[in-house]
Amino acid sequence: MSIKIRMRGKVRGGVAEVKALIKHPMESGLRKNKKTGKNYPAKYIDLVEVKLNGTKAIDAQWSGAVSANPYVAVKLKANKGDTVELVLHDNTGETGSKKLKLK
Amino acid sequence: MKRRSFLKGTLATGAAAVAVNAGLLVPSTVLAAEWNKTAFKAKATDDALKALFGTSATTDSGDIHLKAPAIAENGAVTPVTVDATSISGVESIAILADKNPTALVCAYNFSGPALGYVSTRIKMGKTMNVIAVAKAGGKLLKAQQQVKVTIGGCGG
Repeated sequence: MSIKIRMRGKVRGGVAEVKALIKHPMESGLRKNKKTGKNYPAKYIDLVEVKLNGTKAIDAQWSGAVSANPYVAVKLKANKGDTVELVLHDNTGETGSKKLKLK
Repeated sequence: MKRRSFLKGTLATGAAAVAVNAGLLVPSTVLAAEWNKTAFKAKATDDALKALFGTSATTDSGDIHLKAPAIAENGAVTPVTVDATSISGVESIAILADKNPTALVCAYNFSGPALGYVSTRIKMGKTMNVIAVAKAGGKLLKAQQQVKVTIGGCGG
């Protein structure tokens, strides 16, 4: 299973705003399951990378304090037709990635 | 009903096959960065900043525009936008929530064409300050804002 991503990007005045919605529970490991009294096991995205035309432009580290089904928006200097790629990795080793051609 | 589940099954395997073909499941796409455990396990803001940037000395700056709601009805999804594009040469941005169990929420590093701008949604357990720290030219610049949380974001 790979992480599902929905992504959009638009170039305006030489700057691209890339927005992404990621489907992920982002379980911090601190939330208690009331029935069993144990904490839900942690499952959150820890590493994020944004590539522009194959070169790394942004890398980020997240904790379980990022909301479930994360939304993220970043800005890059880019042109129409450039390719943006988002690569994700979570603490259980699950990965996901999505490529997008900028309009 | 059977037809539906059959379709679902084929779609799922189809997607997996595409992923393999595109090389997405090959370990070569594993990200280079290492998760900074010390910084993310730190309970206090200062400790997290020290582990992340090597120092916790920050200067308040009006050039970082931190946009967060004054009152968040649901602390589990607090929209936060950090805009440091008016500062040149922003290398990193970190977002922290000072009274969460672990203060550091997320940290971004920028290079090349990336601009110092991040917009995301974070969890907040109770009323506290959201702190944005940007690193530019070897200095740490800070902006903070209090967000009142009426429902906590970390479960009962």
